[in-house]
Amino acid sequence: MIKRLMLLLAVLALVAAACGGTSDTEETTTTAATDDGTTETTAGSTDDGGGDAGQGSEGGTLATVQARGKLICGVSGSAVAFSETQSDGSATGFDADYCRAVAAAVLGDANAVEFRALTAAERFEALKNNEIDVLIRNTTWTQSRDTDIGMDFAPTTFYDGQQVMGRRDKGFTEDSTLADVDGAILCTNAGTTTEKNITEGAALSGATITLETVETFPEAMEKFIAGTCDLTTTDGSGLVGNKATQDTNDEWVIFPRAPISKEPLGPVYRQNDSQWGDIINWTVYATIIADENDVTSANASQDDERPEISRLFGGEGELQTKMGLEADAFFQVITQVGNYDEIFSRNLNPVGLFREGTFNAPFNEGGMIFAPPAR
Amino acid sequence: MERENKAPDAAGDSAVSTRVHARPPIWRNISVIKWVAQLAALVAVLALFWLLGSEAAKNFSASGISFGWDWLSDPFGVNIREGIDVNPDSGARALVVGAVNTLRVAISGIFAATILGTVVGVARLSRNWIVNRLATVYIEIIRNIPLLVQIFFWSALTIGLSDLVEDDVGTHLFKASNKGFGLAWLFPSTGFWPWLLIVIVGLVAAKFVAAWRTRLMEETGKEAYSLTYAFGTVALFGLVGWFIHPILGFLSGVWDAIGDFIGGLPSSTVSVVIAAAGLLGAAWWIRQFFESRRTPAGFGKMTDDDIFRIVFAGLVGLGVALVGFALGGASIETPGGDVLTVAELIRNGFSNGFHWFADKFTGDSGGPISFSQANVEVRGAGFTQFGTDGIIITPPFFAVWVGVTLYTAAFIAEIVRGGILAVSKGQTEAAQAVGLKRSQYLRLIILPQAFRIILPPMGNQYLNLAKNTSLGLAVAFADIVAVGFTAINQTGQSLPVVLVWMAFFVTMSLIISGIVNYYNRKLKLVER
Repeated sequence: MIKRLMLLLAVLALVAAACGGTSDTEETTTTAATDDGTTETTAGSTDDGGGDAGQGSEGGTLATVQARGKLICGVSGSAVAFSETQSDGSATGFDADYCRAVAAAVLGDANAVEFRALTAAERFEALKNNEIDVLIRNTTWTQSRDTDIGMDFAPTTFYDGQQVMGRRDKGFTEDSTLADVDGAILCTNAGTTTEKNITEGAALSGATITLETVETFPEAMEKFIAGTCDLTTTDGSGLVGNKATQDTNDEWVIFPRAPISKEPLGPVYRQNDSQWGDIINWTVYATIIADENDVTSANASQDDERPEISRLFGGEGELQTKMGLEADAFFQVITQVGNYDEIFSRNLNPVGLFREGTFNAPFNEGGMIFAPPAR
Repeated sequence: MERENKAPDAAGDSAVSTRVHARPPIWRNISVIKWVAQLAALVAVLALFWLLGSEAAKNFSASGISFGWDWLSDPFGVNIREGIDVNPDSGARALVVGAVNTLRVAISGIFAATILGTVVGVARLSRNWIVNRLATVYIEIIRNIPLLVQIFFWSALTIGLSDLVEDDVGTHLFKASNKGFGLAWLFPSTGFWPWLLIVIVGLVAAKFVAAWRTRLMEETGKEAYSLTYAFGTVALFGLVGWFIHPILGFLSGVWDAIGDFIGGLPSSTVSVVIAAAGLLGAAWWIRQFFESRRTPAGFGKMTDDDIFRIVFAGLVGLGVALVGFALGGASIETPGGDVLTVAELIRNGFSNGFHWFADKFTGDSGGPISFSQANVEVRGAGFTQFGTDGIIITPPFFAVWVGVTLYTAAFIAEIVRGGILAVSKGQTEAAQAVGLKRSQYLRLIILPQAFRIILPPMGNQYLNLAKNTSLGLAVAFADIVAVGFTAINQTGQSLPVVLVWMAFFVTMSLIISGIVNYYNRKLKLVER
């Protein structure tokens, strides 16, 4: 029996040794593979991914979209004036128009868009998992989002800031401050920067709040209207939009005057896809450049004499074709969707958001809407 | 022993001694093959997981997604609606708050659903037509509507209630509003712990009293009301303890002394205790095993399989001992910034526990339990809210709790009904034949047998209830899932958070089924 026990231990030792051996070899192969991956990503532009799941390979998204003939664009679907899902599944609004602009640039057809309505909490996963090509869902550009979770940000299309909405009959005015929210129950939607902003803002001004985090902003509005939540908070644009549609008697008020946070909103795309990134960036810039030069969907012409407009519309040089687009890509954007001012006015003026005097005014009128030159 | 090893030519020996049989070579020994196959399967599964994990890590790093656990200690920065800490200072703390909220719903829901389900289940068997029909209607409505829809319904119902206004300021026995429900409740007061100790002593005494009454009944053949006597004993202890509990104040010094003693032990004691526990556990298991095999033939009949088992238990015990030692020496930085070894942390934990207990034995005569009404107050900048007294049920908690409780109770009712009907009709007839009353044969004959049938499916319902609480996400209940989603959004660490969720729910489910299985084993018919 002793002998058998010894034998058994020997077998066990052998198994253990074999196990250790396997993991050693695995480790080395994995390291090698990771090294390859890194080289591939950094070398990038020359090699086309070599079948590595398409993740992060150059030209991946553009080729996919062109082959599909349709752009899949992630939007909110329930953000008043930014993206509102219609009965036929399409979406209207500021963000939705930028989806159309990208489709016009890439495919020459502003209507070749499939809108995908996403909650704030779902949006980044959807982008990372290739479910959507671009995310234009009033997403705030922050350092952690830019660095941590595998995505990059296009230029800001709308400068926003978080505010709070309360009721006039509870004593709130436009001049109320965060110190006045002490003791209140606040509602906001999950998966946004607003949760953190209001927590920090209230703590800074010495207010104790109870924060209720709901799934979508319409739920927060529902609870605010019912009175379950005393206040609701989100980006100022969202509050203005909801107030415009649901508060006919002007019983609600938005405060404080200076937003409690900086919320630069813009499109988001996957990291390490610089060709696709350039296309999104310059689609946004094209609408701004057209606005700076007073080129609208009505008067846009490819025979425009001005050199910058001529270059932008494909009359001269190969700027667009180098990006992998048709030469007239941005001409299509302006004629089919419009310039920045048209997109803004069409969608946001009706709910009470105007450019004058805000960060969203053109740079030569004191705002921050600015594009690098097209040359 | 020696003889057994002469494997190949043992056939010749069999003529001499019938005890000796031919031993196959090791590669054909069924026990060896079985165990090697088991171990190989284990190694294969572990290797597979390792492979998947490293592949995932590779893909994450290739797509620029960082994977890490730093967020657990980083500031959380978001307030939580309700819980033990509405302003958690780290991601781990936030998840703990969410987990406690989940447990609050799950545990209170399990108790409520069991009581309600049993009542409805018995009502379905009632001979009273109205009671019977009401129970049927309840079950048919509740179990045919998806749980999520029901939770939404209860949420909408609460939101539709009227708001708290200035006139409501004051105390209330019960107050319903769209800010939630406030109700009066009993809370442990300063004398609670000494009183509880007396009640526990009463429970032990009640066990003896019940045994005594039962013996009396068996001897005399007359009803001796053992259950009534047992309850009476506990009630007596509780009642007397209510007034005399301050005299236990001297125990405060005893607990403090124990706490000081533990705090003064060298930290290596903890490592020694863990290691010893591992070794003793293994030794105990092996001993048990031997005892169960102690046949007239002695240990000679042990198969190879048994030896493998013993060696395996020994190795596991040794592993636990080694890990216990190694873990005890590992140092951890506490939130306060001190660096302590795990052993010191465990030791201090026990020591602090006794000191905490000592604080509860102050000899204060404040009574064991205090009654507290819900209060409504004007807070901060003029918001009418529930205060901190009584119990405040928030609308999300209410919606989830009522939703899962009613839903699960409908299924439990059917299980209870089925269990009672499954007891053979002959049992009832036999009980009636020996002259037992209806209440007696239900309590003594039918229900004990029904309970045995009811328990296993009941365990499944408890698991369902516990897991269904995660639907609270839909109505903004701050459970571990909702808090985890917030963490994902603040940090982008989806995979680690999902792993935490899975670990939490697996642990909770295993504990619940462990408890149910324990009772099931105790109740099971002993089969011979």
